[in-house]
Amino acid sequence: MRQFLSYFTLLLAGSLLLTSCGLAPPAPVDEPETAAAGADAEKVIYLGAAVSETGKYSREGKDTRQGYGLWLDWVNNEYGGVQIDGERYRVELIMYDDEGDPDTAARLVEKLISEDQVDFLLGPYSSSLTQSTSAIAEKYGKIMIEGNGAAEPLFERGFRNLFAVLTPAGNYTRSALQLLAEQGAKSVVIAYEDTAFPTSVAEGAQRWAAEYGLEVLGVETYPVNVADVSGIMSKFKELEPDIFVGGGHFNDAVLFIRSAKELDFNPKAMVITVGPSNPTLIEEVGADAEYVIGPTQWEASMSYADDYLGTAAEYAARYQDMWGEPPTYQAAESTATALALHLAIEQAGSLDTDAVRTALRNLDVVTFYGPISFDEKGRNAAKPMGAIQIQNGEILVVAPTHAAVAELNYPAPAWKDR
Amino acid sequence: MTNGPPADKNGNETGKKARFPSLAPVHSLLAGWTGLALWLLLLLLLALYPYTGVSSLALLVGSQIFVLVTLASNWNLIGGMTGYVDFGHAVFFGVGAYIMAILVTGAPLLISPQWGFWQALPASGAAAALFALLIGLPTLRLKGPYFSIAMLGTLVAMREIVRVSRPITGGGIGLNLPPVLNRIGDYYLMLAIMGLVVSLIWWIQRSEFGQSLIAIREDEVGAEMRGINTTLHKIAAFMIAAFFTGVVGGFWAWQNTFIDPDGVFVETRTVEMVMMSMLGGLGTVWGPPLGAVAIYLLQNLLWSNLFEWHLLALGLLLVLIVLFMPEGILGTLGDRSSTSLGRLLARFGRNR
Repeated sequence: MRQFLSYFTLLLAGSLLLTSCGLAPPAPVDEPETAAAGADAEKVIYLGAAVSETGKYSREGKDTRQGYGLWLDWVNNEYGGVQIDGERYRVELIMYDDEGDPDTAARLVEKLISEDQVDFLLGPYSSSLTQSTSAIAEKYGKIMIEGNGAAEPLFERGFRNLFAVLTPAGNYTRSALQLLAEQGAKSVVIAYEDTAFPTSVAEGAQRWAAEYGLEVLGVETYPVNVADVSGIMSKFKELEPDIFVGGGHFNDAVLFIRSAKELDFNPKAMVITVGPSNPTLIEEVGADAEYVIGPTQWEASMSYADDYLGTAAEYAARYQDMWGEPPTYQAAESTATALALHLAIEQAGSLDTDAVRTALRNLDVVTFYGPISFDEKGRNAAKPMGAIQIQNGEILVVAPTHAAVAELNYPAPAWKDR
Repeated sequence: MTNGPPADKNGNETGKKARFPSLAPVHSLLAGWTGLALWLLLLLLLALYPYTGVSSLALLVGSQIFVLVTLASNWNLIGGMTGYVDFGHAVFFGVGAYIMAILVTGAPLLISPQWGFWQALPASGAAAALFALLIGLPTLRLKGPYFSIAMLGTLVAMREIVRVSRPITGGGIGLNLPPVLNRIGDYYLMLAIMGLVVSLIWWIQRSEFGQSLIAIREDEVGAEMRGINTTLHKIAAFMIAAFFTGVVGGFWAWQNTFIDPDGVFVETRTVEMVMMSMLGGLGTVWGPPLGAVAIYLLQNLLWSNLFEWHLLALGLLLVLIVLFMPEGILGTLGDRSSTSLGRLLARFGRNR
């Protein structure tokens, strides 16, 4: 009995190991699904994406999925399919849940490429997952176009197949600083969280400050999930800067505003990433949010438009219709990602990777999301970052000027005069 | 089958295991030459597997499973055999990953500008082992939960230290490694590392060294009285486990091509190692590999359809293991009377 059990265990272990490898690849490799499906029936373009549905990025992942989903629904049902050489191609999007885990993401992207044999890849949510999965896409020579990874190192690896429609993090504060410099601001202080995205934002802010003749009086960093920023703020108070730039996440914006008020730190303008473009901030800090400026990738009130999804406002209405909630900029980015690929395929007139890559490089369009034109590193160099200001409890676009709907209020009055 | 290890001796040693209900004795189940022979046969089959014309996905899945098996086996050496439940073992994974990344990207602090992968891989392990020596000297004096908590603290502290040491580690931005992906090479490399580590555990378990570790687990003072240099043994086991965990970390960094503090110093990786060891059989040779494969399959094939519920299910499984089969699959199979599930199975067997 004992011997039987021993052998049984080993057999079990062995078969488990073997089946685990065997179960994973169910489809034979050398028989492309695409050919089978699209031979005589309708023509199909296969796209693939691994986007978080669960895990730490589940919220933003949902926006990303819905953004892709809106384009997919529109292109198949309303637009009539992607047009190549006068023929209409239906689009099929294969989406998996990467759970926010790099191992799972790698496996799924490998699966999309080697087994599902998709024609093109759409990006995941987050810079870190884009870092690891874009390397896989690059290895297999598959184009990955993404709208949710803004960290600068992504574009320093010399990849030929990675394209991003969003403004890179380094340019986040550009239009806000330019506008403020024009209004007479002279000096700036910067505080940022020591993680990938805020660091890129802050490095960019220093670059643009120099460009627009603003003197950088102080730069401070703080750790992720900080609970108190009063130390940094009281240091900054001594320096009496015109502009305060804060880079971090939503909660940091709340801390910056509250802390500035408590310490009576009165910069003439506060530029804070992530928080201000989110309506929740106004609910949270109330009237103290007035005059706060925030960079934004996209707002529904921007005056951009295209021939496909209409104006930004029309896009927002369509999104609301389909998903029952207003679009975040992550969602708009994702839709724009898919739209850019769509336009490049139509311009290339083929599904050939090289042709589409060339078309992407030469792409120069204006969409509901803003202008899209990729530089040699695959970044969207054409799109300026927007800036919003909270005025009378409303989030209004103040820069860039051609998309603005309101004038910038500058300087902000001191706390005691409000 | 009779040329196995002295099974009875093990049985005697664990006679008083009731005092340590959470720790399994080393079972004789396939711990002998038969077990090793079967293991080597399995390795051979796995080595031939790519020749059956599999996709690169299967190779990636294979290497990911090998990573888990190796990590679980490593953890088992310190957590299962020595009885020092290390809740921060992922720190060695992280150290290995960072050393690999720093060496191959030619970040500062270097003699030569850039190292090759093959020089950096053992260096990752060596760095992790060295780190284990430094950390182990103070923490291995602690017993029971105090050691577990100290290691958990080490993991969290290292994550923050790496985050603030930006000039060297890239801080929160992380480090990009050269995007060199070689699925078939990765598969064979990881297969070799796994084969080596598990065979080493098999050997340790039979050796005097391994028996000393088990003695430390069962009664550290008693072991000391009988002339075992407990400090030396504990540190050695800790460093061996750290070395290979560091190697695996280095490999992982290379395969993933990107690391950041939140990606490599993660608590869940330690929890996984613990769970895999427990499910398979704490302190056994073949238990942790079996548990690693089982949990991988459960996570990815069965429960991926449960969406948010799969974490709950995983947690529930852990509770059930601890309650009903604290000695894991292998422990239950080896000595049914030791667990309630085993007794239940035995009773059914008798009735039939």
